[in-house]
Amino acid sequence: MDRRALAIAVTDILLRHLPQSATEEAAAAVVADLIPLLESAGEQGQEPEDRRLVIITVMGKNHSGIVHAFSEVLAEYGVDIVDINQTLVHGNFAMMVIVDLAGARTDFQGLKAALKKRGEEVHVQVYCQYEDIMRAVNRI
Amino acid sequence: MTYTRREILQTLRMTELEHFDIRTVTMGINLLDCGHDDPAEAGRRIYAKLTRLAAALPSTVTQVADDLGIRVANRRIAISPVALVHTRPEPSSYVAMAGQIDRAAGEMGFDFVGGYSALVHAGFTDADRALIASMPETLSSTERLCSSVNAGSSRTGLNMDAVRMVAAMLKETALRTKDRGSIGCAKFVVFANAVEDNPFMAGAFHGTALPEVVIHVGVSGPGVVCQAIRRAGPCDLRELENVIKQTAFKITRVGDLIGRLVADRLGVPFGIVDLSLAPTPELGDSVGEVLEAMGLERTGACGTTAALALLTDAMKKGGAMAASAVGGLSGAFIPVSEDAAMIAAAREGALTLEKMEAMTAVCSVGLDMVAVPGDTSEDVLSGFIADELAIGVINHKTTAVRVIPAHGMKAGQSVSFGGLLGEAPIMEIRNLSCSGFVRRGGQIPAPITSLRN
Repeated sequence: MDRRALAIAVTDILLRHLPQSATEEAAAAVVADLIPLLESAGEQGQEPEDRRLVIITVMGKNHSGIVHAFSEVLAEYGVDIVDINQTLVHGNFAMMVIVDLAGARTDFQGLKAALKKRGEEVHVQVYCQYEDIMRAVNRI
Repeated sequence: MTYTRREILQTLRMTELEHFDIRTVTMGINLLDCGHDDPAEAGRRIYAKLTRLAAALPSTVTQVADDLGIRVANRRIAISPVALVHTRPEPSSYVAMAGQIDRAAGEMGFDFVGGYSALVHAGFTDADRALIASMPETLSSTERLCSSVNAGSSRTGLNMDAVRMVAAMLKETALRTKDRGSIGCAKFVVFANAVEDNPFMAGAFHGTALPEVVIHVGVSGPGVVCQAIRRAGPCDLRELENVIKQTAFKITRVGDLIGRLVADRLGVPFGIVDLSLAPTPELGDSVGEVLEAMGLERTGACGTTAALALLTDAMKKGGAMAASAVGGLSGAFIPVSEDAAMIAAAREGALTLEKMEAMTAVCSVGLDMVAVPGDTSEDVLSGFIADELAIGVINHKTTAVRVIPAHGMKAGQSVSFGGLLGEAPIMEIRNLSCSGFVRRGGQIPAPITSLRN
């Protein structure tokens, strides 16, 4: 059921219990208000359980092809990129990628090993950590 | 849900560059149900229970550490005070049990097990006497067993007979392990107000009020605190305290996370996080260096006690908010041989035993890993221990002494234990006689502050 259909179903229930005088316009307004509400609820509801966020940090001397080297590994294993950020720190390359392991064709150890190996090939350091550590240190 | 570049890089800097590690994940195990009249049977029961409950700990800890990209330096076991495990109260009984504990620990890959202990702050049972009498043999014939005696408490006063017994025991242990720098003494600590959930060696034991099995975590991180202080620059003391508190908070959160995950995967309760700053001999992992980063020329300078007081208190304040349960010794350790800056300060004569004694009034434990000349008499050692424990008894804090009267060594020399135990410069000890006092024997009664109800 998509969000609009869900909103209409919810409104139907409301209408059955509302006074008969409620108009179709009023119902449409209720649907319009419900959609954003359900959307945000859906996003919050998706967060825990099935998501297994992993933070990959790549650091080293800047040269071409680093981003490609790692996005290739991630694509190969069907790992979903949630957020990606790349910068230069004191002239050195630094890339931070947040990925979701849910639905990937590998587990944490497998991904870590593949990324470390690729890191050696392109001469950069790779760190791979479950997101829990970032949350523990940076969020109250 | 995402993180800024700064947050990710700062976290990585902490874990990768600043010697941050979780110092120990310690499993506490109740052994009170392993007693038997026949010490061999008691030993078999202990061996069976330890290997059943603790075998999965090392691999589980390694996996959790790997998932989070955090180093966990040690995996350890704390057991019920062995003097409370019923058997025939003879020294040989306890030596037999010790052999089984050491064997179990070795087979599972643990470096230390704590709890070869007796709690005698208000007097001895027959078992307590037998266990203490067995200590020289146990400490010299086993590798992994750590031992402790609680000789005083703020509620009961100070058992001076126990203090003298400990002093004699230390001399004998030093002699028996003289070929290895009297290392047997480095595995023993005498306490006032020992805590029941301390995850750190040598003083860990599994208190009688704790659950059957429990996971405790000891965090560390002097390197992280030191770098944070350096980055803060010449700020005032209130700001300095704030910097330490914030760092302690982060460190403790990691310890709490690791403890919860390990306990969860093993299906046992999570106990406490001990948020002590615990140094290692490695450069950049030193509490002395933290004190020097705060603005002292050397650890031991005037101002050292005040700086240490600020540090210990700020650690507690920051850490207490970060974990579901904080316990153990929580504060800052100042073991001389395990701390590069302390070793240097002691060698130069900047840090003396008297200054250290003052520091222990505000640190989390006491005179830790100090080596004194081998010819120090039993009575002087007794007085030395009694002074330290009296500070704890009167001030309602844990104090302890881990002293190595290094056999055949003189002040100015140094003794090396290797590994985490480090290298101890032999420090000058005041040799004036205190025999007339310590040989009176008996109990120093409980202080007036014990009447609190």
